[in-house]
Amino acid sequence: MSSKINVRRFSLTQMMFHFFLIITFMLLSVTGIAWMYIETSWGKALATPFGGYVGALEVHRITGLILLAGFGIHILYTIWKVDWKHFPRSLFSRDSLVFQWRDVKDFILHLGWILGLSKGPQFDRWSWWEKFDYWAVWWGLIIVGVTGLMLYDPVFSSDYMPGWLLNIALWVHRIEAVLAMAHIFTIHFFIEHWRPRCFPFSATMFEGSKSIEHLREEHPAWVARIEAEGRMDEMLCPSAPVPLRILYFGVGYALIGLGVFLLVFALLNVGLLTLKL
Amino acid sequence: MKIPDLIQVCLLCLMSIIVLASQQAVAAAPHPYEAAGTGYFRDGDTLPGAYLQYRQSSEYGGSLWGLGPGGGNVKRSSFWADAHSGVDSYMLRSCASCHEDQRYSLHSSRGNVTCVQCHRGQPISGINHYYSGMNPIRRHAYVCAKCHEAASASFATYVIHEPPPLASSTVEEFPLFYYAVLFMMILAVGVFALFIPYVTLWGLRELIGLFTERRNTDV
Ligand code: HEC
Ligand code: HEC
Ligand code: HEC
Repeated sequence: MSSKINVRRFSLTQMMFHFFLIITFMLLSVTGIAWMYIETSWGKALATPFGGYVGALEVHRITGLILLAGFGIHILYTIWKVDWKHFPRSLFSRDSLVFQWRDVKDFILHLGWILGLSKGPQFDRWSWWEKFDYWAVWWGLIIVGVTGLMLYDPVFSSDYMPGWLLNIALWVHRIEAVLAMAHIFTIHFFIEHWRPRCFPFSATMFEGSKSIEHLREEHPAWVARIEAEGRMDEMLCPSAPVPLRILYFGVGYALIGLGVFLLVFALLNVGLLTLKL
Repeated sequence: MKIPDLIQVCLLCLMSIIVLASQQAVAAAPHPYEAAGTGYFRDGDTLPGAYLQYRQSSEYGGSLWGLGPGGGNVKRSSFWADAHSGVDSYMLRSCASCHEDQRYSLHSSRGNVTCVQCHRGQPISGINHYYSGMNPIRRHAYVCAKCHEAASASFATYVIHEPPPLASSTVEEFPLFYYAVLFMMILAVGVFALFIPYVTLWGLRELIGLFTERRNTDV
């Protein structure tokens, strides 16, 4: 028991998907905001590392395609991961990310706990906000992906649709992207890293595991279920060595810092934009 | 023959089939841009009143059930050859000083394109003047294609001076634009209206929890 204090939560593949998403998302954020803010000197500065305006657009387009390819692979991975033997029922198992009735109950109990009215919910493997964050990437990527492909080459795509759909595509793309960035750079960072129980940094998505004490608080039903099924021994693993943890922290905070930087300066400069809503 | 050779021969055959087949297709069907019309007159165009069908209005633009652009009011001067005839001090002022609504478009503010690169030649004609380069039958060829190679008539229905999407007049001018943006805004505002108060209270609750725990262990 001595060194094995963590419970495995994510496989290497899943962590790779998450890391891939971080990198592409951040690249798209920087180049996308540079594009949106190119009228301001801050926007021009953001575009400079990519060789200015034109370079930033090129990087944005190519990174978008790479992200969509990754999304395609993830869809295949998801289909492959589904437990087809017990098919429709397996979607509603406790390990599944599909929203279920218990998530509604969990949400209400959690709200009750926040307001001091009830005891907190006993989360199983996934809490409702973890499921929300997972599916938000799906609908976000579908919206941004479809409109992004429409805008990839306007002359080409308008052969297959009226050109004025591009006016709509650009606004939808923009609003969805701003929504995604604002959500990640505030809510997601807060829930996963900044709220008092996780502060200052949670490395679960880099280590793939989390300390059992923490999980007993946050996912008690899951831990209890593993113990009841007698699987705890195979799920336990040591936590990462200190140098690695320092690396995780450094990389993590570089990315968090970049997100916060984009958010703060985007807000400061928003008055200089000539876009009108 | 060794097997790798065989594969190579097969590949070569396949490639030549693809090349030949595609060339045949090009020869048989008119090029899509040709089909879209590039600005010369057709027979019907010389009949009285025929130009009405090209007027930029809600009838044109392939509007999907009237959801596309082109609604709203059109000024009479829009059909004139010189849109500025009778406009005072026209020669003395800059375009943007009179046309505040058209001042910032994606093309002007980000593409650094000037007004007269699109609204060519003096006098500047109204958008709906039949012989204007802005007439939808030739806009793609006379205006857009100067910069966007192979622009089609469909491409040219992109609205350069898009109205502010949530302005009330946009419901009429460009309905789908209004509703799509409204939908996205409701989605975005909804997400934050839920999460921001929720997460703030949650953080406070955890903070209080941590303090009371500490007090309990101190005692
Ligand atoms: C002195 C003010 C003034 C200046 C300067 C001016 N315009 Fe106009 N423009 C008008 C007015 C007034 C109209 C009539 C329609 C209206 O009220 O919008 C008009 C109409 C137009 C139209 C036709 C609009 C339609 O509905 O079809 C175009 C195109 C146009 N202007 C472009 C320009 C461009 C390009 C410049 C700069 C070279 C320019 N204008 C400079 C006042 C001005
Ligand atoms: C990229 C080409 C392009 C540029 C640059 C451009 N216009 Fe236009 N303009 C158009 C087109 C196309 C229309 C027809 C309606 C539309 O698409 O918005 C138009 C319409 C107009 C109208 C009619 C009213 C309207 O909004 O439909 C006015 C006035 C006008 N332009 C003025 C200007 C002024 C002033 C500038 C410079 C700040 C300018 N335009 C720059 C392409 C352009
Ligand atoms: C003088 C050159 C010029 C002319 C004329 C011109 N454009 Fe453009 N257009 C540009 C430039 C530069 C950009 C790039 C702006 C950007 O990428 O942000 C652009 C971008 C676009 C885009 C892509 C917007 C996006 O979100 O990526 C569309 C659509 C477009 N133009 C439509 C038109 C139409 C329709 C016309 C004809 C009415 C036209 N343009 C005429 C220079 C021009």
